[in-house]
Amino acid sequence: MRNAENAEIKDAILQGVFEENLTMSDPHAQADRPGRHTRHRSIITRVLPVLLITVLFVLVHFISDPINQQSTDPNAFSVKGATLPWTRIIHDQQGTTTIDNLFSSGTNSIAGPVISFDAQRLLSYKFLLNRDQARLSSVFGLGVQTIVIDPGHGGRDPGAVGSQGTREKDIVLDIALHLRDQLMESGRYRVLLTRETDTFMSLDDRVKFSNLNQADLFISLHINALPQKEFNVTETFYFGPPSDDYTLRIAEQENRGSEVLNRDFRNMIKKIGDVLKEQESATLAATIQHSLFTNMEKYDRVIADNGTKIAPFVVLLGVDAPSVLVEISCISKSEEETNLNNPAYREKITSSLEGGINGYLIQRESQIVKGDDNGKKIINESS
Amino acid sequence: MVKKSSTKAADEKLLVGIDLGTSRSAISADNRKKKWVESYVGWPRDFIARKVVGVPILFGDEAVKHRLSLDMYRPLKNGVIKEGTARDEEAVKELIRHLISLVESAKGDTKIRAVVGVPAESFKVNKVAIKKAVAEFAESLFVVSEPFAVAYGVGALDNAMVIDIGAGTVDFCIMHGTVPLEEDQRTVLTAGDYIDQQLFTFLKERYPEADFNLNMIRRFKEEHSFVGKADKDVEVEIPVEGKSTVHDITEEVKRACESILPAMVESTLELIAKFDPEYQDAIRENIIIAGGGSQISGLAEYLEEAIGEYGPTKVRVVEDPLYGGADGALELAKEMPEEYWTEL
Repeated sequence: MRNAENAEIKDAILQGVFEENLTMSDPHAQADRPGRHTRHRSIITRVLPVLLITVLFVLVHFISDPINQQSTDPNAFSVKGATLPWTRIIHDQQGTTTIDNLFSSGTNSIAGPVISFDAQRLLSYKFLLNRDQARLSSVFGLGVQTIVIDPGHGGRDPGAVGSQGTREKDIVLDIALHLRDQLMESGRYRVLLTRETDTFMSLDDRVKFSNLNQADLFISLHINALPQKEFNVTETFYFGPPSDDYTLRIAEQENRGSEVLNRDFRNMIKKIGDVLKEQESATLAATIQHSLFTNMEKYDRVIADNGTKIAPFVVLLGVDAPSVLVEISCISKSEEETNLNNPAYREKITSSLEGGINGYLIQRESQIVKGDDNGKKIINESS
Repeated sequence: MVKKSSTKAADEKLLVGIDLGTSRSAISADNRKKKWVESYVGWPRDFIARKVVGVPILFGDEAVKHRLSLDMYRPLKNGVIKEGTARDEEAVKELIRHLISLVESAKGDTKIRAVVGVPAESFKVNKVAIKKAVAEFAESLFVVSEPFAVAYGVGALDNAMVIDIGAGTVDFCIMHGTVPLEEDQRTVLTAGDYIDQQLFTFLKERYPEADFNLNMIRRFKEEHSFVGKADKDVEVEIPVEGKSTVHDITEEVKRACESILPAMVESTLELIAKFDPEYQDAIRENIIIAGGGSQISGLAEYLEEAIGEYGPTKVRVVEDPLYGGADGALELAKEMPEEYWTEL
């Protein structure tokens, strides 16, 4: 087997293996500080332009009327003071030294040794910057008032159908109705269903319904079906480009009822930039998935936890609010189908979904409370 | 080949190839040590169990033996590490630590360079997690897909197809002189475990009074599996109301083993059909079956006949299904240029 041609092939293959492994992230760095590197950098790139603009704005402001500013503002204080937030930022966030240089050279050459400006304003930026994981919902103090639950399919569209004839549309509707009742019990949220009966509703109508009612959260419920009948999977999606063929396939399945045109789709894609929505959707997906899986596992020991995934579902894209799509389990597995027909089992699913949603809401509320005094001031100021 | 002199220097390097499987995991090292374990990891359930078993963690057969006192994990069940399940990741890590300890010199100060073969599906979704798990024990490492490691080991580098029949998955992979791309690979989930389940169901139907469990079923399968025509009747002893009784299970074994064939044949044909037409004939004549499932007697002949309808077909079985993957990975490790190791 070992001739010259073979050796050449081997070289190519070994190089291929090397390149493939090179593209995987550095395991040593990951083991030390999981995920921190990238997050850190992305926050910096996100905040840097804002910071630059602010600095320029402040400078221009002072150049135009430095003396007046100094005399009228009671909160004014010196840039040269050691307690200035800028210096803290430089300690906390690597890579921002250029800002410091820009600022100090600016102060020396243009505005002279003493500059003063609005301390409150400065604190605001400090607050934004010093957060490790700037969760915008907490920064801006956005509370949840309206939750829209979307039982998938309905009417002429049965969704997935099990071998015993159980239909996805019926199961998800029943779970949605109970989930609404349970969430309403606290009296804190308005909970709406996109459909309360077995009626057909297009995906666009679901999106419109959610946006019209100014939903703060949108949760779409589905049951999956797999060609591998012995397999049971639970997974939760939020919007984004598909991570693999498999999620693309599911997205195609669930998008079928959509009459969205290509052009509209492109326009909708623009919304992807909505950072707030994505952050919140990802967190919501994670808490729901965790709660759901830990409970489902008690009933089906071999159920697979596919975790949270990103996929381009039309419903998730169009809805303005943070939104997730839950594929609760697989009706294609006959034991699971039997379970789903049992009201007590559906009750358990409802409770674990509720647990996941509540987990998210509590997390979000505590983040807002934690956003100390500075945080509240920003909100007051901006409103 | 020159045998590596075993200097006792502190920076002595040990090359290992690891085959991380759903059912069994194997390691093969360039110090000629080879070991395998059942891919089970068990932690004692509580302090009493800890006292009974006497160690903080058990592997393989030991774990199976004490399973009642343990939280058992088969970390690559269905071919993947479950995302976000910390215990499964931990189990993979412990399993690798254990495998390496089996071949390492007693001093344990050698630097390990590893090539790890993982189920194709896991390679797609968990390669980073697996890399993370091994990184702790190895100075440098490469992760590759399992069927690819097998192919490399048997020198099937160009115009060949490997079908790796494991417990959780059957992995297909076409080799054409480069690292196989995703479209050259495929995974189906009807594999060894599926045969066990089928056999269990068939036997329960035919002998409702017989008393057996999945472990026994697995043993029957490993001893008697076949497809096609039976050489002789398969008779096994199964207790009925406590009394050992001989049962004829020929038909059930055949049906169970053949239950994985349709998906296998279909995937093979599809994958070949998608490949460059000029090379399809060459690939069909160079099919290699590997993994535990390759031991099903009559399988190669069956595939030759089924696929043969589309043109001349040759199917061969790897010599050592247990170590095929680990040996292939070791081969890769040995031939990997030094600068690749250090640059990684």
